[in-house]
Amino acid sequence: MEFFDGFWIQLVLKVAVGLLVILTGALVVIYAEVKIGGHMQTRIGPYYAGGRWGWAQPLADAAKFLQKEDLAPDGADRKVYGFAPYVVMMSALAVFAVIPMGPDLVGADLDVGVYFVLAISSISVLGVLMAGWSSGNKYSLIGGLRAAAQLIAYELPLVLAVVAVVIQASTMSLNGIVEAQNETLFTIGSFDVALPYIFRGQIVSFAIFMIAAVAELSRIPFDMPIAESELTMGYLTEYSGIRFTMFFLGEYASMIGLSAIAATMFLGGYSVPGLEGVSANLGGPIVLLLKVSVLVFVILWIRWTWPRLREDQLQHLAWRWLIPLALVNIAVIAVFKVAF
Amino acid sequence: MTSLDMIHRSEAAVSVELQTPDMTLNIGPQHPSTHGVLRLVAKVDGERIQDVEPVIGYMHRGYEKLSEVRTYAQITALVNRIDWVSGFANEVPFIIGLEKLMGVEAPERAQWIRVILSELARISSHLVFMASYPLELGGTTPLMFALREREYILELIEEVTGGRFHPNFNRVGGVKPAYGGGSTTKKQSMDLPQGFFQRTSDAMDRMDTILDQLSELATGNEIIKMRTVDVGVIPGDKALEYGLTGPNLRASGVGYDLRKADPYLTYDQVEFDVPVGRDGDCYDRYMMRFLEIRESSKIVRQAIDKIPSGPLQAKVPRVLKAPAGQVYSRAENPKGEFGYFIVSEGGKMPYRLKIRSTSFSNLTILPWVLQGQLIPDLVAIMGSLDFVLGDVDR
Amino acid sequence: MSDAPDTTAVEPNPLEKWAISLADRLQAEGAIVEFDTVRIAVARDQWVETIIAAREELELFSWLSAIDWSKDVAVGEGVAEPDELVERFEVLCRLSSVQSDAGAIFVTTLSKDDPSIGSLAPHIGGAEWHEREAHEMFGIDFIGNTNLIPLYLPDDFEGNPLLKSYPLISREVKPWPGDVDVEAMPAKDEDGDA
Repeated sequence: MEFFDGFWIQLVLKVAVGLLVILTGALVVIYAEVKIGGHMQTRIGPYYAGGRWGWAQPLADAAKFLQKEDLAPDGADRKVYGFAPYVVMMSALAVFAVIPMGPDLVGADLDVGVYFVLAISSISVLGVLMAGWSSGNKYSLIGGLRAAAQLIAYELPLVLAVVAVVIQASTMSLNGIVEAQNETLFTIGSFDVALPYIFRGQIVSFAIFMIAAVAELSRIPFDMPIAESELTMGYLTEYSGIRFTMFFLGEYASMIGLSAIAATMFLGGYSVPGLEGVSANLGGPIVLLLKVSVLVFVILWIRWTWPRLREDQLQHLAWRWLIPLALVNIAVIAVFKVAF
Repeated sequence: MTSLDMIHRSEAAVSVELQTPDMTLNIGPQHPSTHGVLRLVAKVDGERIQDVEPVIGYMHRGYEKLSEVRTYAQITALVNRIDWVSGFANEVPFIIGLEKLMGVEAPERAQWIRVILSELARISSHLVFMASYPLELGGTTPLMFALREREYILELIEEVTGGRFHPNFNRVGGVKPAYGGGSTTKKQSMDLPQGFFQRTSDAMDRMDTILDQLSELATGNEIIKMRTVDVGVIPGDKALEYGLTGPNLRASGVGYDLRKADPYLTYDQVEFDVPVGRDGDCYDRYMMRFLEIRESSKIVRQAIDKIPSGPLQAKVPRVLKAPAGQVYSRAENPKGEFGYFIVSEGGKMPYRLKIRSTSFSNLTILPWVLQGQLIPDLVAIMGSLDFVLGDVDR
Repeated sequence: MSDAPDTTAVEPNPLEKWAISLADRLQAEGAIVEFDTVRIAVARDQWVETIIAAREELELFSWLSAIDWSKDVAVGEGVAEPDELVERFEVLCRLSSVQSDAGAIFVTTLSKDDPSIGSLAPHIGGAEWHEREAHEMFGIDFIGNTNLIPLYLPDDFEGNPLLKSYPLISREVKPWPGDVDVEAMPAKDEDGDA
């Protein structure tokens, strides 16, 4: 097995497996969105592609997009226009490098894992702005500017919610946060009971994080930048074919990514009570997958149920409610951390 | 100037420096939210609208000119295409006007059938509103629920008249004998289909259920309230000045419903309430239509109980000639007051037919009400006025 | 159900009484009531004042339009007695009350040589679009309406479509097939009603 210890081999394997898993996951989430959404609306959803369940629908959509003509509008700034989707895709995928799926299954165990995640995911704002401006279309411009304002506004509650967790865990490394949640709190009989952070006083942080995450994803109820019924597709209006697929997959990949971060920080990540060593590495991804599925389902559910908030109402929510609440939450967590 | 000076400059000074020109945004004619081919040329300053100029006429079909070269029977077939969402309701005022001109009175049974079909058309139109309005605000689910219920109504209309959207069911002196053509003097009656009243009654029960579901999903939703309360307020006197009628006028506090104020057909024999709003904002206009569905289902149930048996059409001459004269007849369409001014010179065709279409008058207020609103509010306000371009452009 | 057009010899019914009193109050030229429809004749130079005064009682501005009385008829039937016709435009404005079922159509006559009249648009906001439509369909000039650009028709359209002399292209291409109400169904008797 020495062959597999080489740096480059490890790198290639991790990147390949990671990309495969993430993109497959994105396709599964796309299918879940339309199928679950269909059933919520008393209709069937995809039905034909792939037999009765329509499971091949995302594959059919991907194939359709890939064979489309490479269009760019006349007034578009071609270099920026072509580059924007890759910025968004890159920032969505890079997050997965630090998410631990098992005690040893992590792309890169960084000491500043949390910091890395927040920094990389905020680069997508640039990508969105580039897309909106360079399309040469007034609707895209409005969508892009709305996106910039919204994404920047909701970065702050996201960061502040995470700060509360970091204070309680005393570490910025994601592996470290999972291990901190594995600390035995008390023993019942021969059972060492450990609770994830959501039950240890981080419920407010969890709520703020999830709200800010849905806003960062530009999903309903925060989808003003896209606002299908007003701006056609907002900053995505002029995109088609492969570039649109990049945006699309990037959005679903970051949905999985942010849910995975939330599962890691609040729900205990990959830890399975009582498992150590190799079995933890096998059971960990499954447990993480389950937790991520629950969170993704909630995000999908909200999308199909609620209408969208207006831009100034969005900003109002972020600046006047979430940020003060997050600051108070940090203070309370810090006090509790020091006192107990 | 040092950077410290820049920081200490007042807000006002900085915002004056940053004067940006207004952007002209062209919304439509192909747009997900303009109910048809409406084009709005909007001057926006960021997200705030300074001025909007609606451009209409993309669907102008020349109804008034065409009516001058069509016989009255042919016009009856055409007019249900003006406001295609509420098909039957467009024919009613025209037929009432013709019957006034010709001095013909329709038998009781025909009047009640007209009432039932008009109210079904009203429910159908309001369900389209309940489907499309939350969709414009971003809620994708009420669309499916409301349109699913609407299918029941359209099936009923199709059973009786043969057409879902374009019934062409009114005749001078009554309604068309239901099962295909045939002389009205035949002894064998060509009446409503078997079991129609039972099925209608069941559909009305479904209406109550769907209203409860929609009430939870859309009407009671916090975000819908945030998006529509105090948005696009139209005071009562402005509404009267611009000719707003129907739910739009009633939302602004003016309780004017032609079914009560100037009863036609047999509306004076049924009991129902007319909801009246208070503030004239989008939420009130939404609630008006929501509550009117309930009232309409009440009317339909009463009509089913009260309808007498009898002929469906009075005796009229084979060739319809109206005597000379001018008559204006109007009815309460789902969208407001719909009227026809028929100028007849005694021939088979009218000399002039002026169509008072509801959505045209409802739309005239758009430049006034959109001043200074945000773009998302533009979508909310336009949706709440509930116009149809076929009605605007004729 | 229909009222006789001429009411002078018979005792007027409530609608006619109301119409006559309305015409007196507004100092209009006369009132005609037929088929339950009230028409108040107004002098051309009193048009704007009369309508504004009438809005005190009939608050809802319903519509504004015109009729072209002409002998030169390109399509359709003309008037019943063309020799007795005085060629003119008539501008109509309908106001109704929201407290009751009252309503009236105000009519004024314009000559064909000078089809212009004062505009209601500065006083009644809703009139602007109706006047635009009448302007482009009949060629009537509304003095005081600053926005008389075409409403329905394309910018490069020539002519005023609702004038009686304006032809219908479809009738030019294919002449009127004649007085056929409905064609006979194959192997069936011809029905009278369409």
